[in-house]
Amino acid sequence: MTRPAAAGTVTRQVPVRWRLSRHSRRLLTLAIAGLLLAVLNRRPELVGLAAPALLLLSAGGLGRGESRPALVAVRISPGATRLFEGEPGWLDLAADDQAGGYDLRWDFHPGKGVEPASAVTVTAAQGAGAARFEFTVPRWGKRQAGTAELMLHDRWRLAEGRAVVTLPSLDVFPRPGTQEAVVTLSRLPNRLGEHSARVQGEGAEFFGLREYVPGDRQRQINWPASTRRGRLMVSTHPAERSQDVVLLVDATSDVGKPGTSALDFGLRGASATARAYLERRDRVGVITYQWGGAQWLAPSLGRRQVYKIIDTMLRADASWSRGSSFARLPRAALPPGALVVAFSPLLDQRFVESLRDLRERGFSLVVVDVLNESPPGPRLPLLGLPVSPRPAGRLARGALTAMGGADEIARRLWQMEQQAIRFSLRELGVRVVHWDGTESLDLPLAPYSRRPLVVRR
Amino acid sequence: MRERGSVLALAGPRIVALALGVASVAWAAIGLAASGWAPLALAVAVASVAAGSLRLALLEVPEPQEAYFMGLAERTWYQFLSVIRTLPWEEAGCAAMLWLEVLHPARAWHTAVLGAALAGWLLAVHIAESGTGAVALLRRQARVLVLGLCLLALGAAASLLPAASSGGGAVALQILAVIAVTAAAILVLPG
Repeated sequence: MTRPAAAGTVTRQVPVRWRLSRHSRRLLTLAIAGLLLAVLNRRPELVGLAAPALLLLSAGGLGRGESRPALVAVRISPGATRLFEGEPGWLDLAADDQAGGYDLRWDFHPGKGVEPASAVTVTAAQGAGAARFEFTVPRWGKRQAGTAELMLHDRWRLAEGRAVVTLPSLDVFPRPGTQEAVVTLSRLPNRLGEHSARVQGEGAEFFGLREYVPGDRQRQINWPASTRRGRLMVSTHPAERSQDVVLLVDATSDVGKPGTSALDFGLRGASATARAYLERRDRVGVITYQWGGAQWLAPSLGRRQVYKIIDTMLRADASWSRGSSFARLPRAALPPGALVVAFSPLLDQRFVESLRDLRERGFSLVVVDVLNESPPGPRLPLLGLPVSPRPAGRLARGALTAMGGADEIARRLWQMEQQAIRFSLRELGVRVVHWDGTESLDLPLAPYSRRPLVVRR
Repeated sequence: MRERGSVLALAGPRIVALALGVASVAWAAIGLAASGWAPLALAVAVASVAAGSLRLALLEVPEPQEAYFMGLAERTWYQFLSVIRTLPWEEAGCAAMLWLEVLHPARAWHTAVLGAALAGWLLAVHIAESGTGAVALLRRQARVLVLGLCLLALGAAASLLPAASSGGGAVALQILAVIAVTAAAILVLPG
């Protein structure tokens, strides 16, 4: 039933269900009531009353259902099936010529999470059955665009046909954050790339000087240094290598309001990091942790890898079903010597244990802490009102502290526990930075992106 | 000027529909004795015309797809809209007005005028709710409408003719004659 017509465009044969229109149902009621009452009451003038309705129904071709099309071909051309959060999208719909001669009306019923940005009802004149629906999707995920309902009315509007078209699904990518600078390891694998390594090679940057030996290229001679020292000196250059980067996304817990939750920030940060490293021709992979196990994508190069990574991340679901433990990590997704960048609110102890395990296996780890929420402050019992942090007057402060004491203690305990988790990771040599989700990732990563990160085993 | 024109184009058919509905009810109720089922039929006719006109007036008010987090007032309003839009008010109105007409003693010319008013009311309602151009639609259906009105007049005239013989058989023959003429008109209409 479905055949591709052009890139992204599909044509579907959709069945049409025909029925009487409201107008014809009213005329039919008038005609039947007139005839019935005429016979029952023996009044011929009531038959005359029913005559105009009967004539309209018969002249409109009611009952000639076989001449109406049972199928209508609908061409669906999506503007794009891959969008970023908040990016405007559109769908062009057109009914083919078979439906010509009918008045057409399109009704767009957007799917969950899809917000219409244009009129949802488009009435088209005879023969011109095209309509465009614009929409936006505020939050990332795999979404169904919804359905479009096509109403066909005949010339006399006595019969109406209804066809429902299921619109294509949309991949809505998280809006990437901003990242220009990258963290580079001091030890890089022996593979050509764009990062200056700490060994001599054929790169472009200046590495050092050494005495000329026969066989050196003449263009490598450093003439100012040779003049100063009185003997021929040549410039040496560092090797240029690429590195393997593995992104860890923690989808085990999602705290915060939709749109600014920890998982939202994690995915946006990971998208920005993937893009920044892939632009430098590094190999980037991703592991998404969630309840029920981990999904992973082995490191690779190229622009397509960005979409593959985001596609893997879109399957992240912060659900609460019990799953397998994270103790065993997929080895194929973690090449030896890779830089691991984790995005996590560090709320799940099993994920923290996985980070410790990674560090103990010798991986260089940078953890971007995306937790921007904390438990609500103490509340007055009975009323449920929040206690102001600075109540006026000593008496009021004492009374409020006494009433909301348990809440405050619990809150402080939670904060201390969080600090302890981060401290223990730092003690192991894991770099932990906090990102608020709005600023550029360059700012929290600045201490580690200025110079190569020393690999400590 | 354009806005004013579009408002008139939108409101015009609705006002005409309301006027024709009110006129039909008034015409059917003229000279009616307030006894038996007449008050009930009148109430049904008035309620149907009022609700049908309200439906036309609120045609552009959108209904939300989901009503999970609505207050009581909003929920009630949308339920009211749903009832107004779902029930067949015009059908009920037609039946009630014919019932009113039957409660009268026989008066053929009066029934013919009511028939014309009812046909006009239904057409006006259709034009108002579908948004089609009134002139274009009436021009397309002009011949059929004129033929229908002729048959309406013929039916009234047939009932006014004195019967050749007294009794139920003569009246039945008159009814059959009008039905036959209507059927003949339908058969000769171009398809």
